[in-house]
Amino acid sequence: MNTSQTKDICTEEFLINMGPQHPSTHGVLSLELKLDGEMIRDCTAHIGYLHRSMEKLAENRTYTQFIPYTDRLDYVASMNNNMGYVMAVEKLLNLEISDRAKYIRVIAAELNRIASHLIAIGTFAQDLGAFATPLFYCFREREKIIDIFDQICGNRLTYNYMRIGGVQFDLPKGIDEKIKKFIKYMRSKVDDYDWLLTYNTIFLARSKHIGLLPKDLAINYSVSGPNLRASGVKWDLRKDEPYLVYEKLEFDIPVGENGDSWDRYKVRLEEIRQSLKIVEQALGALPEGDPTVKIGRIHKPSPSEIYLRTENPRGELGFFIISDGSAYPYRLKIRSPSFSNLAVLPELVKGLKIADIVCILGSLDILMGETDR
Amino acid sequence: MLMMLIAGIAVLAFISASAMFLIWWERKVSAHIQSRFGPMRVGWHGVLQPIADAVKLLLKEDIRPAEADKLVWWLAPFFAVVPPVMAFAAIPFGKSLIPKDLNVGILYIMAISSVCVIGIFMAGWGSNNKYSLLGGMRSAAQIVSYEIPMILSMITVVMHANSLSMQKIVEAQSRHWNILHPNMLLAALVYTIAATAEVNRAPFDIPEAESELVAGFHTEYSGMKFAMFFIGEYTNLFIIAAISTTLFFGGWHGPFLPPVVWFLSKTYLCIFIWMWVRWTFPRARVDQLMAFAWKVLTPIAFVNLAITGWLLLK
Amino acid sequence: MVIIKIIKLSKDLVIGAWSLIKGLVITLKNCFIPAITLQYPAQKQPMTDRFRGLVDLHPEKCIICYQCVKICPVACLAIAHKQENNKKVISEFKYNMELCCFCGMCQQVCPTSAIYMNKIYEISVYDRDKTHINLLNPGKYIEWLNTSIK
Repeated sequence: MNTSQTKDICTEEFLINMGPQHPSTHGVLSLELKLDGEMIRDCTAHIGYLHRSMEKLAENRTYTQFIPYTDRLDYVASMNNNMGYVMAVEKLLNLEISDRAKYIRVIAAELNRIASHLIAIGTFAQDLGAFATPLFYCFREREKIIDIFDQICGNRLTYNYMRIGGVQFDLPKGIDEKIKKFIKYMRSKVDDYDWLLTYNTIFLARSKHIGLLPKDLAINYSVSGPNLRASGVKWDLRKDEPYLVYEKLEFDIPVGENGDSWDRYKVRLEEIRQSLKIVEQALGALPEGDPTVKIGRIHKPSPSEIYLRTENPRGELGFFIISDGSAYPYRLKIRSPSFSNLAVLPELVKGLKIADIVCILGSLDILMGETDR
Repeated sequence: MLMMLIAGIAVLAFISASAMFLIWWERKVSAHIQSRFGPMRVGWHGVLQPIADAVKLLLKEDIRPAEADKLVWWLAPFFAVVPPVMAFAAIPFGKSLIPKDLNVGILYIMAISSVCVIGIFMAGWGSNNKYSLLGGMRSAAQIVSYEIPMILSMITVVMHANSLSMQKIVEAQSRHWNILHPNMLLAALVYTIAATAEVNRAPFDIPEAESELVAGFHTEYSGMKFAMFFIGEYTNLFIIAAISTTLFFGGWHGPFLPPVVWFLSKTYLCIFIWMWVRWTFPRARVDQLMAFAWKVLTPIAFVNLAITGWLLLK
Repeated sequence: MVIIKIIKLSKDLVIGAWSLIKGLVITLKNCFIPAITLQYPAQKQPMTDRFRGLVDLHPEKCIICYQCVKICPVACLAIAHKQENNKKVISEFKYNMELCCFCGMCQQVCPTSAIYMNKIYEISVYDRDKTHINLLNPGKYIEWLNTSIK
């Protein structure tokens, strides 16, 4: 068919606003889609519906007072956010923390990574139309992690567990048994997901070769975390820039082949397995000592600038802090992984169907609390 | 005349009772699959929940979008609910328990239930909502393509029974059920898949695709109009299950128990399988759905038809 | 060529069908696992020792050091004191539950454990005034303890 003929039968494009109230935009994200029938011609993401000006708030809070706010950045992985921020302040203050605190931080962060990936997998399946069943299974498993956190720190979503120089509480008695039981339980459940989702033929048809993210494009957009690893780049801060005790622990970094939605999902599933391994090792090697620290109301670092990045479940979480010597940070910049991961979305969806954008968005696993900050 | 009236009232009563039971049952099945309880508060294990829901829906405000195509929008729910009710006319519940044994029974049911798509399409168009329009378009494309393999698989049964009448088809299975023939098994599979698409159930629920099109064609409907779509959907589910029972599982035939009990238990077992499938699988994409209908199901149905013909002529 | 294609297609179909059946088996298995959800108002999850509910106070322990007020990131606590016989006496201890983010830092910073967090978690109220709580009032939480949904 030559072009003049196709022009004649070309239908009118129409504009559709997907979100901010839409079941599968993962919070308040608005996507402006230009559609030709079911085909997506153009996509623009509008963010900012959940903007709470976290960075400005930080300038009016002391270093300790800002810890609860980091819970609300990436609210499904609060522990990791807490840890990233607290470690950045520790670097600013040149604080050393006890070995036990380091191990406890690793355990908490990895358990929370599992919880976060469970939500990612569950909502991804939900976006693909698996009527809530995988989502409920994932939440059922996540509930066990939350129960553990509830015992450790007393809250179920916004943990506020890390403190500058250590952690708030030591692990309660009998919790290691509970974690070990959970690891055993979780291993069997991850195998279930393989048949419920991973190799399900409809699931494969929906997510394989959809939203191909090539290696160089991913690097150019500074995509990080499981999304980057799914594109075949072996980059994990836990291995490449080890912090805490990660260099002493043995684990693999799962890497995808094509960088499609299925690979991104699969990398997350594998990371759950690796995280279980890390928690098991860290629990075995837990040293004696006192991880807790007296809460310091005021910290006055010397005037300096630091940047510290950690591996969040969604990617690279960085805190850039400028201190002018007072009790308040002069400037605090948060480099949130979801923001960069979302930026690549319009590149991925062009020419695909409307059902695919939901699939790609689910597989990128963005979180608006962190994107808008 | 009086008998007709009584039969009509009985069928209508049965339809509403069945739809309510199915709504409750679906919620229970999904809850147990997802390790939840489901409705537990209204009545014993929440059996009265559908009635509470119906009361709620009746009391709700009937909201009409300002820019809706008034007449089309208003008529659509009736088109969704009336055809499945009409299809009951030729469903054989028992030996003489059939509202009307038409000599073209199966053809009549197929023709009538195809009207449903018009209701959905009208809802999609009349709502004047872009999501609904996409849902309506998808529905039209889907139902038109899936009707062909569905009818082709039915024809194999008709060829065996030598009649279009539902009662004759059941009588032809008095010794053994159709499903026991290998070619009939294949036809039953094709029918099951096509029928799932025909009633817009997961994994082929693309017209209402909750995660993509919010609720597809019924996004804009509220109150009793929404309830009409709901009742229509569950009545349709009962119809396709009843057809598969009649065509492949020996209809009301069965030892010891009365025919009605056999028929209903077989039908509800079929419905359970549809529910089980719905709460397990992800949704297929619209183009994959079409490709599957035209490239896989239709050829299989044609080959199966040819084999059946050859077996009968042999 | 065509035959190879058909064989490949039918192989895919069989593998696909097998994967679907496996998925169905998993959901059926889960059907027989007892429900893990709770019948909420009737059954309630026990709260852990470290649970952070509403802020509460032992007035007799308070030494009026203002540490909790200073550490609170959302400024939901307000204290006032007066001098009586050369001794500081607490005259007002207000807690604005609306602003509270339940971070528990007041509890950790308190040198005498006077301020602590109780186990109340059903904290909705109909009246906005009720979110401004006077912590010196001994009966302040009776309503929450008694009127939770029956």
